[in-house]
Amino acid sequence: MLSIYLGNMQEAIYYPPVYFDNRYEDEWITDELSIAMIKDVDRSEVVGPRLIESPVLGPISVKELSGGVKTLMLMAFSEEGKIFNASACGNNCAKWILKIGERKDLTVNLRHIMDFGEGTFEARILNTGEVVHNMEEFVKIAVDYV
Amino acid sequence: MKGKYKVVVQNNRLHYEIDIKRNITVIQGDSATGKTTLINMLRQAENLGISSGIDVICEVPCRVLEGINWKMILQNSSGNIFFIDEENAFMNSEEFAGMVKRSDNYFVLVTRENLYNLPYSVEEIYGLHASGKYQNTKKVYQQMYRIYSNVWEFPIRPEKLLVEDSNSGFEFLKRLQKRVTF
Repeated sequence: MLSIYLGNMQEAIYYPPVYFDNRYEDEWITDELSIAMIKDVDRSEVVGPRLIESPVLGPISVKELSGGVKTLMLMAFSEEGKIFNASACGNNCAKWILKIGERKDLTVNLRHIMDFGEGTFEARILNTGEVVHNMEEFVKIAVDYV
Repeated sequence: MKGKYKVVVQNNRLHYEIDIKRNITVIQGDSATGKTTLINMLRQAENLGISSGIDVICEVPCRVLEGINWKMILQNSSGNIFFIDEENAFMNSEEFAGMVKRSDNYFVLVTRENLYNLPYSVEEIYGLHASGKYQNTKKVYQQMYRIYSNVWEFPIRPEKLLVEDSNSGFEFLKRLQKRVTF
């Protein structure tokens, strides 16, 4: 289940993209989930664990992927027990955060109101202990913290 | 520093055009729209000049403000447009807000967080998007768009809506502060 801590969180990794550059594993890149996230968010194709084909930049290294997709991969694959700042992700990453939260217990820090879309979802807000099911419920709590 | 500035940043693949209208501009929006790439290009151009292969065209210097020496750089700079990427947590600090207020520089801040210490206009919050190729070249043309339009559909229907005239927030609170002891 997805758990969200809203607002400043000292122990969270504030800027996950740099953390990713120094900690990622090659096998994360070629995982089916990463291939789909990179295709959807960055519009890029995974050629191999060390090569990505970007429609704008041409052939790029993994380190040139977007901050959003790097943060998503940390959420999906990092086993170091870190909490990552999901505000490094744009709204186009929101559906993937929900998807990762369906596959595992995921705790993220959020410092802005992310748009999780018009559908229903389930997330526990750690600041209050409440479980929200849609954007209206989420926003009503989030405005007090971000 | 006063007035509007046009900033063009380009290499062989990308062409950014940005209009800076006020002292604080915020860039946010979806991932993978080129925000960090823009900052990286500006950093390379600042460090290497013409050797970087990047053209930065603007009436005033465009620089990247980052790292632990940000205060010293800001204290000794005037008449620049400073670009600050989201990894720099000092953007949220009161100290930074105080220095911005006393500064003669313009600031372009890449962040999705609300910056409660800084006075910036909702009209100056932008996203970046690619709008095709630039003038029959191979370059992808990156432009800014306003995130909050003049027409906004609320997800809720408020019974009452409290609004303010321009500048009234600061003036109101300044007068209130004189009358009230907190």
